[in-house]
Amino acid sequence: MKSLLAFMKKEWMEQVRSGRLLILVIIFILLGIMNPAVAKLTPWLLEMMADSLEASGMTVTAVTVSALDSWVQFFKNAPMGLIAFILLESSIFTKEYQSGTLVLALTKGLDRHKVVISKAIILTLFWTVCYWFCFTITFGYNTYFWDNSIAQNLFFSVICWWLFGLLVVALTVLFSTLSNSNTGVLAGTGCTVLVSYLIGLIPKAKEYLPTLLMDGNSLIYGTVEARSYVTAIYITVLLSVVCLAISFPVFNKKYL
Amino acid sequence: MDMLAIANLQKRFGDKSVLKGLDLSVPEHSVFGFIGKNGAGKTTTMKTILGLLKADGGEILVSGEKVVYGQTATNRHIGYLPDVPEFYPFMTAPEYLSFCGEITGMSRIEIKSRSNELLKLVGLGNEKHRIKGFSRGMKQRLGIAQALLNRPKLLICDEPTSALDPVGRKEILDILMAVREQTTVLFSTHILSDVERICTDVAFLNDGVVNIQGKLSDIKSQYRTEEYVLETGNEEELKLLMNVFAGLKKSGMNTASFRENDHTLFDILRFVTDNRIRLLKIERVEPTLETLFMEVVEK
Repeated sequence: MKSLLAFMKKEWMEQVRSGRLLILVIIFILLGIMNPAVAKLTPWLLEMMADSLEASGMTVTAVTVSALDSWVQFFKNAPMGLIAFILLESSIFTKEYQSGTLVLALTKGLDRHKVVISKAIILTLFWTVCYWFCFTITFGYNTYFWDNSIAQNLFFSVICWWLFGLLVVALTVLFSTLSNSNTGVLAGTGCTVLVSYLIGLIPKAKEYLPTLLMDGNSLIYGTVEARSYVTAIYITVLLSVVCLAISFPVFNKKYL
Repeated sequence: MDMLAIANLQKRFGDKSVLKGLDLSVPEHSVFGFIGKNGAGKTTTMKTILGLLKADGGEILVSGEKVVYGQTATNRHIGYLPDVPEFYPFMTAPEYLSFCGEITGMSRIEIKSRSNELLKLVGLGNEKHRIKGFSRGMKQRLGIAQALLNRPKLLICDEPTSALDPVGRKEILDILMAVREQTTVLFSTHILSDVERICTDVAFLNDGVVNIQGKLSDIKSQYRTEEYVLETGNEEELKLLMNVFAGLKKSGMNTASFRENDHTLFDILRFVTDNRIRLLKIERVEPTLETLFMEVVEK
């Protein structure tokens, strides 16, 4: 336990001193502010462009925006946040492979599974904190400007998206134990998400896929019922656990 | 008891066989020199001992316990200094040592006192900067400090002196000498003068097997040749000697060497006295590790 905490402390120190944590926090604050800001600015933007739109045959009538528009922006920007997160953190294992810094820690008797556990915990923690930080900011502005109650299943939909992020974190951990390079981690994680997305184009398969959880808009507009997401949630959680479970034996046998 | 015992260790990389049945036993409280030329398999052997590489055959026992690849519990007995130690660059030296101490489960107070003691020992006591800015010699010294932190029974150093300047080398050798009381030291090297300076035991690794192994003094006496070198006052006198003793081999302007079984030392000395030849020097040649090494490698 003590060695696990020591390794996590080292991870924390690294994230803070390399400035990665700061960058992540800034990105997610910006995203959190952008969501309501874009919604708020939409009418004004359309008005500005009204003349040119009219020339092309479109008439702009008075546009009213609500909290829903801000939440649509939230779900539109969440992938950007997740991508930035993975880009910044994809080297969390591979950097140690390349520099050989793990060798000394492991030859000191640190159990290999503790390396995987502490990095997985740090990634999960950071994703959770950043994501909910972003959510809180958007939620706060939305309450101030409009009324959040018109968004249906709001908390359920954001929890779904958060779960999807957790799966991506688990995939990052898995591919980090499989691959020695940053590119391998990004390619592996990216391709898995892409495959899930492509299979999701088949309507019948959609409800079983983790990528369904990214579709928060249908939930807040109430076009689908929350119940229809349950299968996808189970599968996502199961897949995350499986990914992490595979990471341990793979890392145990890894040549460092 | 042997601190480390290796039996019939084999390792191949692809179709290249690096270790071909290596046997090694390192007695407790020895400073063991593991000698071999570059690429002989020294690092491979050490990494296998540490469970960082999987052996293709054979067995390794550290303090009587079998080494297992992957989850290597025997590492708690071992302090390891790699040839190029890599640390977390964002930490300072004391921070790194306390990280290592926490991993091995030392108490906070012990970490503090041991770190201070070791940092002083390796000359990094006043270093406040992050490891990012450390020179190679400083990293090597920090490497020794981290390896000794939890008072390991076996200290393994992979070519600790190869990359250092003479001052740095002397410092590292002095430290290794100093810790001999507390631990067993196994270090690989191809710098033979280092071995002669501090080792009690040696093993020569060549072509994947250990050719010679044992106490340094035993090996030296075992391989002692009955060879002498003599130096005369001038060339004429040497010629005079060489005319009588055909077995003398000229090795310089006024110097020649001979073997005891060609001519006895007393015959030559009698002739020297009878003819009043001025002798500047006569000495028995001690076998150097270098000649031994060359012999092993060329065999």
